[in-house]
Amino acid sequence: MSDMQTVEFREALRQALDEEMTRDERVFIMGEEVAEYNGAYKVTKGLLDKWGPKRVIDTPISELGFIGAGIGAAMTGLRPVVEVMSFNFSFVAADQIISNAGKMYYMTGNRYSVPMVIRGPNGAAAQVSSQHSHCVEAIYGNLPGLIIVAPSNPYDAKGLLKSSIRSNNPVLFLEAELSYGDKMEIPTKEYLVPIGKAKVVIEGKDLTIVSHSRMVNMCRTVVQELAKQGIKAELIDLRTIKPLDIATVAASVRKTNRCVLVEEGHYFAGICAEVGFEIMQICFDYLDAPIERVCQRETPMPYSKILEKETLPTVPRILAAAHRTLR
Amino acid sequence: MLLIRNFEVRAEAAYLQGKIGGFFHSYIGQEAIQTALLQVLGKNHWYVTTYRCHALALLLGATPNELMAELFGRTTGNAKGRGGSMHFYTDRLLGGFGIVGGQIPVATGAAFSIKYQDKQGEIAVCFLGDGAVAQGAFHESLNLASLWNLPCLYVIENNQWGMGTAVERAVSIERLAEDLAPAYKMKGYTFDGMDYFHCYEGFKHVFNEMLETGRPVIVEAVTERFKGHSISDPGLYRTKDELKASMTRDPVLIMKQALIEAKLLNEESYKKMDQAEKEKVLAALEYAEKSPWPDPSTLEEDVFAPENGVAS
Repeated sequence: MSDMQTVEFREALRQALDEEMTRDERVFIMGEEVAEYNGAYKVTKGLLDKWGPKRVIDTPISELGFIGAGIGAAMTGLRPVVEVMSFNFSFVAADQIISNAGKMYYMTGNRYSVPMVIRGPNGAAAQVSSQHSHCVEAIYGNLPGLIIVAPSNPYDAKGLLKSSIRSNNPVLFLEAELSYGDKMEIPTKEYLVPIGKAKVVIEGKDLTIVSHSRMVNMCRTVVQELAKQGIKAELIDLRTIKPLDIATVAASVRKTNRCVLVEEGHYFAGICAEVGFEIMQICFDYLDAPIERVCQRETPMPYSKILEKETLPTVPRILAAAHRTLR
Repeated sequence: MLLIRNFEVRAEAAYLQGKIGGFFHSYIGQEAIQTALLQVLGKNHWYVTTYRCHALALLLGATPNELMAELFGRTTGNAKGRGGSMHFYTDRLLGGFGIVGGQIPVATGAAFSIKYQDKQGEIAVCFLGDGAVAQGAFHESLNLASLWNLPCLYVIENNQWGMGTAVERAVSIERLAEDLAPAYKMKGYTFDGMDYFHCYEGFKHVFNEMLETGRPVIVEAVTERFKGHSISDPGLYRTKDELKASMTRDPVLIMKQALIEAKLLNEESYKKMDQAEKEKVLAALEYAEKSPWPDPSTLEEDVFAPENGVAS
């Protein structure tokens, strides 16, 4: 048997779920269409057949109810993995995520923890308009007590989901609808990817580009374009938004002295605003140019594909930002 | 009941002296309900309640000392001084929840756990106020609990007021449990929440039924709080006569009268009992007063539970 396998993003996630369900009988999956329908995006395909309805549970369209129930189950000894069909639907359960999951361990004086994963697609898909396209990491990132993970590729997705299920804390695990079909060679043997560790995915010396989730792939194209122009950019994938691995970012910026931050979500109080501030604080003397950022413009997501493309980060916008730092 | 009454009276006095801060929601007037329920069920279930949580914590075994220290914001407090009046816990009490209705899905999840782990004889008990009946979280929880056959007992303590809004101005049905339950294929009951014995008999019936069916049940315990919604509420929405009338049905006095009539109690033994509970609470005040404040250097500890090296 080969020690490597080529899998889609969704299959990497499915393997993580299946392996962790094998490892720990307290782990169960619940969400809309996860069981009989085999998952809205087929992440849970085949899991009902294998594990049965006790551990793979279809819910009604009732996010407030079932995310809250997941928190109660987590507080009383289980390890729920709750799928949201879109993280935009998590907003109707915001009270449960914000006031209960995120605050519980601290508020109870360490009496109750919430070992629970909420996972599903985040951000834009293809022309699904404003109410299905919002990026949630900046919103939830403002709340102490929540771990936020956002992998960009199948390898990290599998290893990070396994770590998230084993975590003793509430984890928001952000996927991307447009990435579920992405293929990659990953090990057949079990592995974990640690939470809270960014990764230098391409090494360079001229500037640092920092991104996460689906935008990392767009940044790869940018790095290739810059290389054609003789510019060696270093690309960092944050992988975990919170806790933020600022050390890896800072080490790179101290080397390159220039930095472009890229995120799919909006400018105002976004992840880039936080990362940029932390770089300014600890790398101020190393910066040879102002930090640049490319984010979603300050609009709700429009439907028309022309406008949709215009509001999201694009390769030309990131390239222009890179060149501004090199002036 | 006397411990609860004494605790609330003395804690309120300490609040007015400036020793306790934040919100403070008194359980005075409602004591019969949770006392009777605990007497029937015992501690070995999952319990969830509202911010009016002092009584349930005491009934589930939290000491007056640790609770008073929590109210005083001390490091020896029930939640290390991080929770305050609305967030009390025990090994069986999941809280103490500050958002109206926010506790209901959590209790439903605790019932899910009991079923998943096949814990025979256990149920989850969720207390909520009449105000929470209007919250969507209640509807979603009832639907899930009925759909999935979860052993969750929802007890609506109808104290007539959602802060200053009378229940009939907030909820479109009259009998909160009995009118609502059939829509979810559940059973609904109404108890006299001022009468310990009525509650006791009622909860006994409901608990036995739940052990048999494994199904959720809704109970409305009709009561009236004798204090404002919280300590800062002067209660101008009800007249003094109305309050006086409801206080003639004080649950402590009703129980005392019944026990005297049954010759199980006399004025003297009652006074002795009351004095004993009062002394416990006075000792708790002293304990809280003498307890150390939290060390500011611990402020940022415990935002996350330890990972035991597994995940990171």
